[in-house]
Amino acid sequence: MTAIIEARQLQKNYGSSVAVKNVSFTVTEGEFLSLLGASGSGKTTILRMIAGLERPTGGQVLFRGEDITHVPASQRNLRMVFQDFALFPNLNVWRNVAFGLRLRINRGRVTKEEIKARVDCFLETVQLSAHAEKLPHQLSGGQRQRVALARALVTDPPVVLFDEPLGSLDASLRKAMQLELKRLHRELRKTFIYVTHDQEEALGLSDRVAVLLDGQLLQLTTPETMYAQPNSAAVARFIGTANVITGTLHATADRSACVELPGGARITLGTSPASLASGGAVTIMIRAEHMRVTARSGQPAAGLLARVCERLFLGDKVRYELELGAAGARLTALEARERERFAVGDEVQVTADPANVTVIACGEQTAGKLA
Amino acid sequence: MTAATRAVGSERRQLFIWLLPPLLWFTVFMVIPYCLLFYYSLGSTEYMTFKPGLSLSNLVRVFRTEPYLSVLLKSARIGALAAIGATILAYPVAFCLAFHTRTSRAKFLIYLLIIVPWWAAYLVKAYAWKTILGTNGLLNALLLSLHVIREPLTLFLYNQFSVVLTLIYIFTPFSILSIYAQLERIPTSVLEAASNLGARPLETLVKIILPLSLPGVIAGGIITFALATGDFIAPALVGGPNAVMISNVVINLLGVAFDWPMAASIGIVVIGVGTALISAAQYLEHRSQARF
Repeated sequence: MTAIIEARQLQKNYGSSVAVKNVSFTVTEGEFLSLLGASGSGKTTILRMIAGLERPTGGQVLFRGEDITHVPASQRNLRMVFQDFALFPNLNVWRNVAFGLRLRINRGRVTKEEIKARVDCFLETVQLSAHAEKLPHQLSGGQRQRVALARALVTDPPVVLFDEPLGSLDASLRKAMQLELKRLHRELRKTFIYVTHDQEEALGLSDRVAVLLDGQLLQLTTPETMYAQPNSAAVARFIGTANVITGTLHATADRSACVELPGGARITLGTSPASLASGGAVTIMIRAEHMRVTARSGQPAAGLLARVCERLFLGDKVRYELELGAAGARLTALEARERERFAVGDEVQVTADPANVTVIACGEQTAGKLA
Repeated sequence: MTAATRAVGSERRQLFIWLLPPLLWFTVFMVIPYCLLFYYSLGSTEYMTFKPGLSLSNLVRVFRTEPYLSVLLKSARIGALAAIGATILAYPVAFCLAFHTRTSRAKFLIYLLIIVPWWAAYLVKAYAWKTILGTNGLLNALLLSLHVIREPLTLFLYNQFSVVLTLIYIFTPFSILSIYAQLERIPTSVLEAASNLGARPLETLVKIILPLSLPGVIAGGIITFALATGDFIAPALVGGPNAVMISNVVINLLGVAFDWPMAASIGIVVIGVGTALISAAQYLEHRSQARF
């Protein structure tokens, strides 16, 4: 696996505010990498710096090992699919798709016949052959999206950049386009760098996901690893529905460990973090779907005592919002098979399999109260 | 009568009250003058007094008798030259204002610089060109001091060139604002997409920006052309006998010759030609208008 794009200590300041803070990562050839973050996390700025549409304040962008930081956008062999599609309003669908190729005709790198064949072929791929003569404003949102996709892919670029390309589509169309993108990536074997704020989209589409917060890269790994083993509370909260809890570590006699919460309740850990001594602060994460809500059995030691604040029926699962003890901390539980139905105000107990309790941070920086 | 229809009726009455002032204005100052113009054009003069009639002979005279038609054509040519010159000068300014002015403060400043000359009276500005182009003017003084010429030249002033130059100066702001308004509508991402697809700046300009700004160019051109063709101050101040334009002829017919029917007929022809041109431009503008 060879690196195709490398960001080295990328920095972008707008006046005194910092949009991207010292971000470094490598994208390997043929990879589908997502940059995931909330708005203002700097993900689009990073993409635009790779495309050459934004000049970095510091750091470098490398393409196949070559520094392209100061190469103008038009000379970079990277194509971008814009959030608003950015189709040329004065050109019809066919000419929009042909735009990049027709520029090359002037430079003698492609013939008219080749252009026609390629454009027709890609219009076929995105099922727009029947609309070739239409102007962008005559198309629906999904059709415009596909024109933008064809326009980017037709020039056969090694890397395609996506800036929230599905953001303006409705939910069902978005689902269909996700499948389409995944198929195109598999068939064309190109490198995709994909910016999104939708964690589900990022997890589902990508080979690897980079989570960004306030211009900083928090974690870059496979979706599976990121879901199971987030490296910080921020990542845990961003991906899926997680309960992040901080407490004190307690080693017990039978070599297992547990976390004691400020209220006195205890959560048993599957594996004891070897690096930490008993009595230290520790932050753990339990996925909402790993939380079991049951009726109180009389033995308080069996789990955390909580009160139901809200019950939401979501179709394939039920979501419980729970209030924990007197501390007023909130937990979320997702029950795929609701064995017992609880109403708002019910006193319940919450348990989790120790194997599903993940330690994400140790030490004083996360010490304090329940998250 | 139900309550609903009563409500509709009262709404209509209110609307009518609001519309009355503009309707009156429009009638008194536009419809009636047009009718009067038409009325006068059909009459004739006897011993310098107007005599009503129903004759088209004056309209025919506009095309048959010298110098009316040739002056009309000359005016149109001067107007076209002014429009072309104004557009050529305005485009780069509008382009910089739309795409290369980063801060809104700089944008406002340039905007102000374009607008501020309009606060000065047109007459004063036209007069200024007299002091620039005249025999003892700035241009001659500059050329003399640079030893390019030995004696002041008279060829700068009192000809069609000086009229076109003055008209370009006066009307360029119209073109700038018209083109700028159109350029401003182009989303930045469209230009970024062009460069992302490998277009160099010049290619983006020719293939994307120019076609998208065409409606603004046409609109600006037609305003400038119409205003310049009908102008009478510039030819009167900086134009010589060779640069007499149609409005000057009309003024002479009205104030000196007292031939109101002839003056009205020229007015009718100018309005007719103008309407045709504006309709054609409107059609072109509409056809070239891309929807975003």
